[in-house]
Amino acid sequence: MNYGPLIFLAAFFALAGSWSGFVLTPQLQIGRLQQTNTIGNPTAAYPVARPGLAQQGLDVYRANGCAYCHSQQVGQTGTVLEIALTDAGTNHPPIIAALLKLAAAPADGPTVLTALPQLEAARTNGGSAMLLDGLPKAFLRSSSREGANAAIKALYAAGAKAQLWIVPVGPDLARGWGSRRTVAEDFLFEAPVMPGSQRVGPDLANMGTRQPNVNLHLLHLYAPQLQMKGSTMPPYRFLFERRKIGLEPSPEALVLPAEVAPPAGYEVVPKPPARALAAYLASLRADAPLFNAPLTVPASATPATSTNAATTAASAK
Amino acid sequence: MSAQPRPSTLTAAETAEPRAGDIALPLWIIVLLFLLLYWGVVYFDQYSGGFSPEVYMPCRSTAELAMYQPPAGAPEFAGGKTVYENVCGLCHGTDGMGKPGQAPPFVNSEWALGNPNRMIRIPLAGLTGPIQVAGQQYNLAMPAMGAALPDDDLAAVLTYIRQSWGNKASAVTPEQVKAVRAEIGNRTQPWTAEQLNAIQ
Repeated sequence: MNYGPLIFLAAFFALAGSWSGFVLTPQLQIGRLQQTNTIGNPTAAYPVARPGLAQQGLDVYRANGCAYCHSQQVGQTGTVLEIALTDAGTNHPPIIAALLKLAAAPADGPTVLTALPQLEAARTNGGSAMLLDGLPKAFLRSSSREGANAAIKALYAAGAKAQLWIVPVGPDLARGWGSRRTVAEDFLFEAPVMPGSQRVGPDLANMGTRQPNVNLHLLHLYAPQLQMKGSTMPPYRFLFERRKIGLEPSPEALVLPAEVAPPAGYEVVPKPPARALAAYLASLRADAPLFNAPLTVPASATPATSTNAATTAASAK
Repeated sequence: MSAQPRPSTLTAAETAEPRAGDIALPLWIIVLLFLLLYWGVVYFDQYSGGFSPEVYMPCRSTAELAMYQPPAGAPEFAGGKTVYENVCGLCHGTDGMGKPGQAPPFVNSEWALGNPNRMIRIPLAGLTGPIQVAGQQYNLAMPAMGAALPDDDLAAVLTYIRQSWGNKASAVTPEQVKAVRAEIGNRTQPWTAEQLNAIQ
């Protein structure tokens, strides 16, 4: 009996199935991704294309294999709803009583996030000024939107003003690697996308928010152990030029401490690739609040975009 | 020499094409495969987020994603407060209670809580003449305080008025303001209570 057609069909459907799953479906899902708006600021487009130098830095990042040790994707295991007091007025006892009452609510309601003993103490001896200082501060954590809204209403009734904060959580975020998970939009202007898979070094998705100073990035590339004791990162000194000081020292020369400084009469100047890579690292920020990845940005913080990173980079130079 | 076909010594079973035996698939494997298929479908149903490009872990559905969106009304509300205190609060009071001889109150005012189409017209062209507000008679003149405000600011401040100090009425959208602005055109003549009452 001739099994040829059967074997052909079986192989065809097996390959077509995985092709649909790994290639076709993602293409249909996010193949036509466009710039989007950050939530809370409908006029701010996200993401913004990198400025030229930072865009060249992407190629340096790729050429030097940075992605083999550094990832650019932040994970998130959950989102919590926090209820923050923004204004407590002057009459504190009813607010504290309301907080304690909300904390004693059933399991699906809000629970006290911080300072339960201090709250109890404040109720018994009336000393509440310290506790309600430094607002806005999150006091309650809720597992449901309805519970959170009810709690905010109860706090309003007690004379305080409260806000709902959307706070992403997860081990990566606890390490300070970002304020939310990375989503496909974050990589819209990356070609090729280098999300990385190993984390020999820290995640770089938000490097620009952690260290906006281009000069410190250059210093780190020249001598990683200077700023990070025990770092296993190799120094990228071939991206720098050690040369004799000419008529006057270059304004771009690194300011190096004694242990890595060149001999007297010499200076270390970054070559163009090093400057591009540092500009690229300073432009890395994936922290804008998006519909896909919602979070509450504290009111004092300015909305962050790649453009901001670029201006910071330019002013730092 | 003629070749005589020799009678075959092979039996029919030996000359037949080879065939795979009909070994029945054990029933438990079939059951296991269907259980795995069922589990896979249930897993997809729970974690695929309906294949929506907007849903990422840890959210599992668009409904869950919607739950984590920041409250939409909040910035509008806050913006409205600022505009209110700069423009309206001087006469109507920051508490919305109005001031005797200057302006009627917003709290429990049927004009503020009622049909938004009437309310939007008042700041756009002003209001003059006798008017009944919250059970009290007033006879004052209000200039077109909101004519210079952009649509979204005016919508925000009207929403603030309709939703503050215990007032609970629907929000006013910038589209509504835009529509009313287009309807009344270049009108600078202040409204009277009768004219407003005629508007649906």
